[in-house]
Amino acid sequence: MSEVISVVARNGAFQKNMITESFESDNSDNSDNEDYNMSGSDDDEEKPATRQIASDSDIMTPGELITDDPVWMRGHGTYFLENKTYSSVAGTVSKVNKLLSVIPLKSRYAPETGDHVVGRIAEVSNKRWKVDIGGKQHAILMLGSVNLPGGILRRKSESDELQMRSFLKEGDLLNAEVQSLFQDGAASLHTRSLKYGKLRNGMFVEVPNSLIVRSKNHTHNLPGNITVVLGVNGYIWLRMTSKMDLARDMPPGGSTQTSGGSMGPTGAVSLNPNSNISITRLEEESSWKIYSDENDPNITNAIKQTISRYANIIKALAFCEIGITQERIVIRYEASMAYNDIGSLIQRDNMENIGQEVLNAEKMRGSAA
Amino acid sequence: MSRLEVYSPEGLRMDGRRWNELRRFETSINTHSHASDGSSYLEQGNNKIITLVKGPTEPTLRSQLDQTKATLQITVNLTKFSKFERSKTTGSTKNERRILEIQTALVRTFEKNLMLNLYPRTIIDIEIHVLQQDGGVLGTLINGITLACIDAGIAMYDYISGVSIGLYDTTPLLDVNSLEEAAMSCVTLGVMGKSEKLSLLQVEDKLPLDRLENVLAIGIAGAHRIRDLMDEALRNHAQKRISNASNK
Amino acid sequence: MTLSVAEKSYLYDALASTPSIRPDGRYPYQFMPIEIYTDFLPSSNGSSRIIASDGSECIVSVKAKVVDHTSDDDLLHIEIDIAGERDDALITESCTSLFNKLLKNIDMKKLQLTKKYSFKLFIDVLVISSNSNPVSLISFGIYSSLNSTSLPKLVSNFDDLEVEELPMFHDYDLVKLEVVPPLVFVLGIVKNNIFIDPAASECEVANNGLIISWTNGKIIAPIRTLALNDTNTKGFNPNLIQEGIKLVEKYASDIASALQNI
Repeated sequence: MSEVISVVARNGAFQKNMITESFESDNSDNSDNEDYNMSGSDDDEEKPATRQIASDSDIMTPGELITDDPVWMRGHGTYFLENKTYSSVAGTVSKVNKLLSVIPLKSRYAPETGDHVVGRIAEVSNKRWKVDIGGKQHAILMLGSVNLPGGILRRKSESDELQMRSFLKEGDLLNAEVQSLFQDGAASLHTRSLKYGKLRNGMFVEVPNSLIVRSKNHTHNLPGNITVVLGVNGYIWLRMTSKMDLARDMPPGGSTQTSGGSMGPTGAVSLNPNSNISITRLEEESSWKIYSDENDPNITNAIKQTISRYANIIKALAFCEIGITQERIVIRYEASMAYNDIGSLIQRDNMENIGQEVLNAEKMRGSAA
Repeated sequence: MSRLEVYSPEGLRMDGRRWNELRRFETSINTHSHASDGSSYLEQGNNKIITLVKGPTEPTLRSQLDQTKATLQITVNLTKFSKFERSKTTGSTKNERRILEIQTALVRTFEKNLMLNLYPRTIIDIEIHVLQQDGGVLGTLINGITLACIDAGIAMYDYISGVSIGLYDTTPLLDVNSLEEAAMSCVTLGVMGKSEKLSLLQVEDKLPLDRLENVLAIGIAGAHRIRDLMDEALRNHAQKRISNASNK
Repeated sequence: MTLSVAEKSYLYDALASTPSIRPDGRYPYQFMPIEIYTDFLPSSNGSSRIIASDGSECIVSVKAKVVDHTSDDDLLHIEIDIAGERDDALITESCTSLFNKLLKNIDMKKLQLTKKYSFKLFIDVLVISSNSNPVSLISFGIYSSLNSTSLPKLVSNFDDLEVEELPMFHDYDLVKLEVVPPLVFVLGIVKNNIFIDPAASECEVANNGLIISWTNGKIIAPIRTLALNDTNTKGFNPNLIQEGIKLVEKYASDIASALQNI
């Protein structure tokens, strides 16, 4: 294959895998079972009159009866008609206590309180920013939900309203936490912690949100001096590891006994074990610097190449529709060192290999354990 | 062409089908994952269409914002090369009366079926490209939209499946192609799931009323079969996705 | 696509450094991977569908019609439709005019049937989605669709000036159309670096862009500049044009053979 361009080609077809089942009725010899004869093809599809609730692994499609047992509460992806609960999307059934819902196979990001997301400012309006987080609606970030320069004790003033664009403007990327949800499902964000805020020193990658699994921690330091922020909404930020990122990895020195000691004044888990330093740092970081547009001048070309490599690995995992986790990225990163040339990682067969190797590696480890 | 050829005395149509047989029906789902939130590619006989669903998203225009429900917008692009003879019209075909009528009919059909009230203040934009057409296009468009909306995860009450039926003398012919469509009166149906409820009924030609019931019956049966074919394709697709997702 | 200031300066610095570092690690001469499907529209004489790895997609149909070339000597008609853009949008019109000029490079003799009649080709381009400037993708689409085009075989006499007769064709034998359409390459310029096939994010920070056309092993007109964004565009060192031309000269034949290999 040429290294200039890699091509997948096929003649006489619209796409790579032509549709799984083909129903040739045009040229068939009209034997009854091959054609869409109306006679007799329907009755085998009759639903039973009463039905037990479907199990978790069952695939539901719109209009399908889930249960006629009225004890269930109806959640997302269902609707209720004449004492029966039906599915309104294609997906799998989820039962939490008495709440019955159908999780669609795929949809736009649906925010939940506590989610760590990466977003892009779409609009600056009255005392709030509207943030694109890949959801059905823009999320809201209130002026009062961000740390402003000058530390936490500082009062908010009218001048802050007038200079909102000097903090965050259209196009700016930030990471934030979903603080609450509005009635209509839109998210309200906050960045009142040192781990949230404007993003710098790196590159943005987007993957389908279904590939990011909600977990305790979404910021990971990776080998090669890179930190990744895996937004639950499928927006990913890759950056050079900062001192702040490294601080998180340090063991909580001395204050391990008192769990409250590691809490920073913003209520977030402190990034630095020593609470004294934490406050000093907060003041230092709460200066204008946290809204700076300047990148760190020390990003070397080697770091940039590593970021590109990670970006390609993440895209390859997404291409194979494999869930994206820190472990998988690291496994692949180490294995990708065999490809000297980062650009070759975007070729289709290499992406498929990457996905396969990750799954194989996991199988091997699983059998060893 | 003589009228005789449309339906032979032996009960065969021009393409060799019997009166109650559908055309080839092939579909794939999630074909344009980069460009849309939900997509489908559908071949119904020689009709070939791409459907892209974008949304629900934040509307770009204030006029598209509805406080109570999502705004549904459907654009049909009948490409100039879609027919056997290339369309001779110069300039844009986008504002042709016929296309505007199709768009309105589709919006009306799906407005009632999609649960738009769940997505207030958003817009759902559906874009259909007809690459090739061979009769009964409206029915095919309905099927394409249904599949793409399901792929986008938009809540709906049920499948809507569409099909056109012609009436040749006294014989109804299911799923007409363009030659049949030109030769006889036709009816297009949109049917809700496995019910007998019609969400769309379009009759543009003269049709004897006493035959209508017969035509509707075969049409509904054909639409139910299409629903099953779509359901099957969707379940296969879902199975694949779920086995992928178990690798999470 | 709006990028943040920090993203832009990161990308700019990466692309401007020597050697340049592209966000997806490509070489300056490396294209995004593509998928090509041809001949999937039975009612057209030729068709193709090209998808780049960033999801940009374009579909091309070629239909032929027999015309009397003594009265209608315009044997190529091209129409470009970009989804989401109006027909009179700037991008659509500039693409159409570019390809109208370019396709003049095709050898029209190949379309001649008899002394009186020729095939007229109707090339319809539908851009389903595009993340950056689509001209390169469109030219690949036209190239592979014409490459997949087969036309009915003539069975009547070539010389029909004396005898009044319409061309007659063989019932099912087809002849492959032997024309070689030009390819168009888009290059992005950042500071003193030039690179081929800029991705959307690269376009956002590029100082300028170049369109270079190529056919049959040589560079042809038009060569022109192309502003890839509204904010960062400025002048560039004219030596970069030479460098861009060299880049295209060196690698274009690889693309052509990749497109033919179906």
